[in-house]
Amino acid sequence: MKSLIRSMFVWMPVLLATAPAFADLKVATSLTDLASVAQFVGGKHVSAQSLCRGYEDPHFVPAKPSLMKSIQHADVFVSTGLELDGGWLPLVLPGSRNPKIQPGTKGFVDASQGVNVLEKPVGTVSRAEGDIHPLGNPHYYADPKNLEVVADHLAQVFSGLDPANAADYAANAKAFQEKMETSLEKWGKEMAPYKGTSVVTYHPNFVYFADRFGLKLFGTVEPKPGIPPSPHYVNQLAEAMKKAGVKIVVYQPYYNADASHEVAKRAGATAVEVATEVGGLPGTDDVFSKFDALVSSLAGALSGKSGGQR
Amino acid sequence: MRFRMFACVSAALVCAPALATAQTSSMFSNLANPAIGMNALFSGQAAHNQSQPYGLQFDEAEISVISVVDPYWTLVSNIVFAPDGVDPEEVWARSTNIPAIQLKLGKIRGTFGKHGLLHTHAFPFIQAPIVMANTIGEEGFKDAGIEAAWLTPLPWFSELTGGVYQAIAADDEHPLDFGSNRHDNVPYLGHFKNQFDLTDATTMELGQSVLSGRGVEGNPHSAFGADLTFRNVPARSSNRHGWILQGEYLQKGSTAGGNYDREADGGYASFQYRLSQVWWVGIRGEQARKSSTDFVVDDAGNPISGRVNRASANVAWTPSEFSFVRLEYSHAKADAGIHPTDDRVMIQMSYTIGYHPAHAY
Repeated sequence: MKSLIRSMFVWMPVLLATAPAFADLKVATSLTDLASVAQFVGGKHVSAQSLCRGYEDPHFVPAKPSLMKSIQHADVFVSTGLELDGGWLPLVLPGSRNPKIQPGTKGFVDASQGVNVLEKPVGTVSRAEGDIHPLGNPHYYADPKNLEVVADHLAQVFSGLDPANAADYAANAKAFQEKMETSLEKWGKEMAPYKGTSVVTYHPNFVYFADRFGLKLFGTVEPKPGIPPSPHYVNQLAEAMKKAGVKIVVYQPYYNADASHEVAKRAGATAVEVATEVGGLPGTDDVFSKFDALVSSLAGALSGKSGGQR
Repeated sequence: MRFRMFACVSAALVCAPALATAQTSSMFSNLANPAIGMNALFSGQAAHNQSQPYGLQFDEAEISVISVVDPYWTLVSNIVFAPDGVDPEEVWARSTNIPAIQLKLGKIRGTFGKHGLLHTHAFPFIQAPIVMANTIGEEGFKDAGIEAAWLTPLPWFSELTGGVYQAIAADDEHPLDFGSNRHDNVPYLGHFKNQFDLTDATTMELGQSVLSGRGVEGNPHSAFGADLTFRNVPARSSNRHGWILQGEYLQKGSTAGGNYDREADGGYASFQYRLSQVWWVGIRGEQARKSSTDFVVDDAGNPISGRVNRASANVAWTPSEFSFVRLEYSHAKADAGIHPTDDRVMIQMSYTIGYHPAHAY
């Protein structure tokens, strides 16, 4: 018995001293891409999870009570910002009953801060243009460069909340940026032959990728954001594509594949399913493998060698 | 030189009011204005038992205003403008500063059951279940009070809500009689809700509710409810497919001399199916006992109570998230009154502008 008490006295301080090692920052995000960046930047000090799955439309995440429960004890919440999650986050965040991650606190992060936002509406904003985002196009995570901005931002936030590991967060963010720069060079070379090529996308969530790699956006399968295409519009778009020689229709796993394939079929083009979010398709487990797969699928389809169905 | 001075003085005099106006305007910044939205509902009904002309009518316009007050509170309000007047349906402050607890106080929609939490434009069918108006109110239990909802430490979503409300006598909107003047008459509510993710796409939600207070004669008056909802939203087509299977039972009663009297009860079961991004269909069956509704009347046209069964079917076209048109048919049977059956066809149009977050799951 005495030896038990003695060993308790010996081990207790050791256990207490090591306790902070288990005190990871629990990070929750709106999007899988943000969770991937948060995990890279946070390393062993952070456990990151996304509420929206990669194969789920980030505009329409059902505000399930289980999502509220899953972030009840989070230390940080990273929102995509620019109102991409504006339909469901106003229910999920208060429902979590977690004061640490409410807007206005240190634990709430708007990941769009510092990003060069494209397609900011000029003049009056009207839903006559469909379900547009008044603060600009929120799909900035489709540009690898923007994720570098997010990584830097998250390193600052994590350092503020966990100063003991600030050096690790800064080093991880730097490593992320270096890896992204190296990868960008590789992706840039793969996409270089297709600069100036026109493509059609289902929704305007390819704008940042196209801007980065020099693709031209010819149109969208949706006549307006959030509005499903009518047969008449599908015909019109296909005819226009034929005349302009547009050969690729790009869509995400959560969009209507039938409409995309119908447009491609009528235009004599190829429909390519791609993941613009991490986890959208097999083999897209982090932001690097996502862009690897995305660039590879597009380059293959644009070269006419692989990808999609004609 | 004199002319130049005159010109300068004149220019200063002309500019001074403009500068003053600019400074005055900047005192009233609108940057912190609340988010504002409005929903307008219109409907038409062809019901042979109703002595009213068939035609389109304005049902209501609901103005929603929401804003963060300060680091501690958010204020939410829904003001309804209807042909019979203006109703501050909900005006409440919410605090999310207490870990695990959400506090609501003000004029609130009591957390009772499932259907009773819905705003009119979010009803899955144009007509509310008959049992609602005979137990807690067609649009739920609305009263001034305070509610605390505790998210328990259980590993799934398990919420326990308790609330106390202002004593209020029965009227058209509040079938429950909580009108006693006794000092200990503080109507209270309890609600227990559990939600489980059965699969990636399907959830099950189970709820139990109780609401109790004292009536004008001083006796306890209560309502009880239980609800069960299965909901399917496939992740790869969350905006195009899915279904909701829901059932709810409600009961209202009072106790006098130790005997409980079940004054009215009933329930419904409904199934809604989403065919595509723009089309929904739904069916519902319901029964209400010791209940009245608009076609259950005596010879003089006065409402009477009886057992009513009703079946409804509808189809909705939702061209965008912000508008829909619904067509609904219902067939009902009653064991009392001058109309043994009732058939009606209804159409409803809903339009939403401004800020409007998603409805509760």
